[in-house]
Amino acid sequence: MASADRYDRLARIDGFPLERVRSARFAVIGAGAVGNELVKNLALLGSGTIDVFDFDRIESHNLTRSVFFREADVGQWKATVLADRASAVDPSCAVRGFVGDFRDTLRLRDLAGYDAAFACVDNLEARIALSQMCRLMTTPLVNTGVDSRFVSVEVFPFGVADDNACYECHLPESAYARLAERYSCGWLRKRAWAAQVVPTSPITASIAGAHAAAAALALVGGGSPSNASRLLVDAGSGRSNRVDLPRESRCAGCAGAPDRPPLIFARRSVHALLGGDLLPPGAELRLSDPVIAGGGCAQCGTGIGDAYVLKRASRFDDMLSVCPRCQVRSMRVEIRDLFVARELLADHVQHAGRALDTRFVLADTAQGTLCIELEDDIP
Amino acid sequence: MTSPLKLTVRTADQTRKAEIALDPGSTGGQVVQAAVDNWALPKDTDYTLVNVTTGQALSPAESLDASKVRPGDVLEVQPVLVAG
Repeated sequence: MASADRYDRLARIDGFPLERVRSARFAVIGAGAVGNELVKNLALLGSGTIDVFDFDRIESHNLTRSVFFREADVGQWKATVLADRASAVDPSCAVRGFVGDFRDTLRLRDLAGYDAAFACVDNLEARIALSQMCRLMTTPLVNTGVDSRFVSVEVFPFGVADDNACYECHLPESAYARLAERYSCGWLRKRAWAAQVVPTSPITASIAGAHAAAAALALVGGGSPSNASRLLVDAGSGRSNRVDLPRESRCAGCAGAPDRPPLIFARRSVHALLGGDLLPPGAELRLSDPVIAGGGCAQCGTGIGDAYVLKRASRFDDMLSVCPRCQVRSMRVEIRDLFVARELLADHVQHAGRALDTRFVLADTAQGTLCIELEDDIP
Repeated sequence: MTSPLKLTVRTADQTRKAEIALDPGSTGGQVVQAAVDNWALPKDTDYTLVNVTTGQALSPAESLDASKVRPGDVLEVQPVLVAG
């Protein structure tokens, strides 16, 4: 239990929402340089709960920008080390580390309970995924990005007002083209693809962490603008500007998509999802993660194998396109994220007991859209 | 025929700046592409366009006219930052 004296100087700040901060729940996705700085600030402010998500381990090159990491930590999980160190800043803050890809470890139902989620990740794909999740759950999103000179902090106050822009509303086409370079056959990862290394500095990370924490205060204190905005800081010159991000009617991410559809849960099997009365046969299903729907060799006709069907495509790389019999890239892999319920039920009866390897499904029915989170552990 | 829009286009670090006349039908994406090509901006980065005069980001697909860009406005080409 922290003494009241600990927060005395914060409480003296005019309008500082101390009580709200003490009960606030934040999710920080990415425990790299910006994640370190942000969690440091949130802990110093006395935030109630800070959950940190990261799949990666600490490497030597992280030590020049990550305030909580030490030489002896190399090889340890970023999320757990960051959570442990931040807990020591203010033991009354509940700081927890979750190791793994947030797309697997952060459930929609839990995301809905945070006051804000922060994207401190290092790639476009994760930012897009988190934006989609936050938009669905109407959880405010703060997206941070840095390089060696610039800092960008974008606030998407989902849930604060309707008709907000999402992260994708202002993504240029070139960003999607760059994303596509990582994949072949749609969603199979290219084995030879190497991630671009962007130089960053402790200065830009620190600025990003400061502005992201300021956004957190504004969100929990009720002082956040109701529309999406981007702050760009030039750390070289000290100049900055803030612009509004209007919603884009043709956005690939949110055009025509429902805000906060009812969230329900189902076991991760085709039978559990479609075998009962939950969904009508004509329901259109949009999967959060594309799955392998089938396929076979264009030369010898060998099927792709049942073991792959309905598995998440991103779990595989482009070696799947090599036919095991012909030993050439002749395997056609059908990857889909759109189904009509009856396709899975009737045309793929053999799949009824199979796990549907996707995180959630948006089901369009005559009554509206349902968001169904698939879980392994529902009794 | 619509008269050209006289604008200032610059990079975010303001090391490159040009006063130019653009067709109001040009899209934000086309302005960005012209900046990348003419100023040889790094091609391993994506860029967006903002109107710093009005404080609005411009849609890549929308025309300057539809985005309510006015003569004399200053447009800034900003990098899409993805590192954390």
